[in-house]
Amino acid sequence: MKTKFSVRDFSLVLSLIVVWVFFAVASPQYLSARNLSALSVELAITATLALGMLLVILPGHIDLSVGSGVGLVGGIAAVLVFNHHWPAPLAFLPALAVALLVWFAQGTLIVRQRIPAFIITLGGLLIFKGAFWLVINTHTVPVAPGGRPNLFSLLTTYYLTPLVSYGLIALLLVALVVVTLRGRKRRVAMGFAVDDAELAFLKLFLTAQALLLFVLAVNQFRGIPLPVLILGAVALAIHVITRHTPFGRHLYAIGGNEEAAFVSGVPVQRVVITAYTLLGGIVAITGLLQTAYSGAATTTVGDSMELDAIAACVIGGTSLRGGRGTVLGVIFGALIMASLLNGMTLLAVSPELKFIARGAVLTLAVWMDVKLSKR
Amino acid sequence: MPALLETRALTKRFPGVTALRDVSFDLRPGEIHALCGENGAGKSTLIKLLSGLHPHGSYEGELRLDDRPAQFRSIADAQRAGIAVIYQELALVPELSIAENLFLGSEPRRGLLIDWEKLYTDARAVLARVGLTLALETPVAQLGVGQQQLVEIAKALSKQTRILILDEPTAALAEREVETLLDLLRDLRAHGIACIYISHKLDEVFTLADRITVLRDGATISTRATAATSKHGVIRDMVGREIQDLFPRTASHPGDVLLRVEALRAAPSAHTPARLQDISFTVRAGEVLGIGGLMGAGRTELLMHIFGAWGVRQQGRVEIRGQTLPPGSPVQALASGLALVSEDRKRYGLVLERDIGFNLSLSSLARLRRGPLIDEESEVRVSQKMFSALRVKAPSLETVVGTLSGGNQQKVVIGKALMTAPSVVFLDEPTRGIDIGAKLEVYELVNQLTAEGKAVVLVSSELPELMGMSDRILMLHEGRVGGEFARADATPERLLAAAMGHQLSAA
Repeated sequence: MKTKFSVRDFSLVLSLIVVWVFFAVASPQYLSARNLSALSVELAITATLALGMLLVILPGHIDLSVGSGVGLVGGIAAVLVFNHHWPAPLAFLPALAVALLVWFAQGTLIVRQRIPAFIITLGGLLIFKGAFWLVINTHTVPVAPGGRPNLFSLLTTYYLTPLVSYGLIALLLVALVVVTLRGRKRRVAMGFAVDDAELAFLKLFLTAQALLLFVLAVNQFRGIPLPVLILGAVALAIHVITRHTPFGRHLYAIGGNEEAAFVSGVPVQRVVITAYTLLGGIVAITGLLQTAYSGAATTTVGDSMELDAIAACVIGGTSLRGGRGTVLGVIFGALIMASLLNGMTLLAVSPELKFIARGAVLTLAVWMDVKLSKR
Repeated sequence: MPALLETRALTKRFPGVTALRDVSFDLRPGEIHALCGENGAGKSTLIKLLSGLHPHGSYEGELRLDDRPAQFRSIADAQRAGIAVIYQELALVPELSIAENLFLGSEPRRGLLIDWEKLYTDARAVLARVGLTLALETPVAQLGVGQQQLVEIAKALSKQTRILILDEPTAALAEREVETLLDLLRDLRAHGIACIYISHKLDEVFTLADRITVLRDGATISTRATAATSKHGVIRDMVGREIQDLFPRTASHPGDVLLRVEALRAAPSAHTPARLQDISFTVRAGEVLGIGGLMGAGRTELLMHIFGAWGVRQQGRVEIRGQTLPPGSPVQALASGLALVSEDRKRYGLVLERDIGFNLSLSSLARLRRGPLIDEESEVRVSQKMFSALRVKAPSLETVVGTLSGGNQQKVVIGKALMTAPSVVFLDEPTRGIDIGAKLEVYELVNQLTAEGKAVVLVSSELPELMGMSDRILMLHEGRVGGEFARADATPERLLAAAMGHQLSAA
């Protein structure tokens, strides 16, 4: 893909800076090590779910049920751990299985019965919410019985030690340099245009700076939080899937022109069902993380998370019509979303205003998408 | 008698093509005037001029109504002047009732509300004029195509129409409905309504029309009183051009049968009547089978159906290299060595916002894999080879397809099909809308494919192209085989007669 700075990229970076400056001025704690660490956990959760959403938006679909799904999955695991005393790792399995199965079913309904995804998943939103409340019996179910840490609670409370964190970032930087250099060499060998050496260096340099600042900040608290590591793994997986597998190409092709994709021999139905099933897996991961972060399954876990995920995708340059969107863009969109929500929580903004702000950002992002993609 | 509607030296140019040149045509009051011509002869363009769809100023020449210059700036202008067009695709809202459809957009009002009483009274009166005796509340969706058409005509009559233009009105009608329609048109003629009647069905034209005008290549060839001409004469006028020596088809040496189609019958969907019936043919290695026919004869449907992308199989089978190809799966068609280059490249061919490389390899990703991942180096290598072989004019594989010219887009679609290493290639109107240079390249490619022992099926609306490039020609007529011709026996007159469901005695 071409790597050019566009109006869109620029306005993304600018809005992130505006958000950060605003909250930093409004609340001195916003840029504290402790809060940046918390922000990185929140980013990891939002971004993970948004990356799953990307898989179904790319072929031109949508999913409104992931928020309720997040609650349901976490609820199942929490009930098994707390009420039935299952070991945490064992409790993850049925939660994961349910999510995979349910999202496989939703995908199948959408493509085989030709019911719009919007409707199916709107039904899912309500059904999973109800099922979630049934599962937890509308109680608060802690993830760790007696407050003893288990694998469930550690999901969001485990940190790599500062030393390991430095080591990891160093490794990442080396890998980044190697991948960039090899990628350039390959593109030159294939006769494609590459960035100027200076621009390429600048990009690499800025990325390195950002990573270093991040690790310096979180190391002042406890080190890199586990969810960030999980996000890294999910992002890498989804990047490889969307960019380097036939399945990924098919997602873009279906979103770009479904009829042409079908006539080109793309197994459209199978691809979309697979995308939904993968999304189910990511809903499971997010569900466990979000519930662990809340400390317990409560009736509000997962509320409105589908909207944050969609907003992150759109802010990050994913087209709701399908066919356009990247992993990096989505993570950036999630960062803006998470920064906003975290800042508002820190300022103790009332839930009413939070809803309004969320809605405004989502609307603004979609409006910008329509404006920018018209040209 | 002064003409009711007259065109003087009408010329209409589109970028790169002149659709009408110096067309003079006149319609007398109370006359049914038939307009005949091959696909692309300019009939549709002429109608669009007469109906205000191509507004005044977008063409040269003069349009006269009642012996005065007329300048339609919009469809509404033409409607106010009393001109109404009934298109093949009907413009009714299926969920609304007959009465509501009749006055859609011109509902009689009483203050802010619809005056239902007047609406129903008027509707009843206008329906009676077309001989429909259905309940006014019936939703249009419940009517047959023929009845819907009558509703359309009634709607036109309710607007004080003096000139009715019908574009292939009987294409979708059953025989009895055709009779009803023709009777109605005669009746309207008796009441002074003039009619321009466009049809490929010469039988109808000859029983109905007072005069016949033939268009060819955008020009008027002849206007004759029906009594003063014959079907043969009309067909000759429609064809009448020299086949230029533009087609470099090299001699073929047919080999084994690669594609065999037996007694195929297929419908658009499970509960619709068959659109393709009793179609059987074979294509051999190294051979080009041309498929011709008029618009709506089922050529595209036939190719798309064999490929698995259109309709429901009701009967018959398809074999590729002796192996049965199951219906309904492009994935399997491609896997068995069949490739399709669709007629509508923007709709079925390309992902416009993606680059050339993405589009070229889209059908062949399965064979470009290394483990679960795409082997990008060999992908680029193979795509680059195709890119150069087809001489696509673009800076690189990373050029977005939507920015290419029609000819280069077509090359990308063809390249995508060829990258699947097919043994049978379907080309549906491969030269439509591309310039002459690109056309020649497509013809050379066809020769090259057959030289490599592939079988080619070429669908074309242009008789010269069909005759110039095919070793054998199959003409379709209303979803059936109207005739099959060896290259040596194919004359334009015979092909066209077969396409129209006639059999000409050997000339």
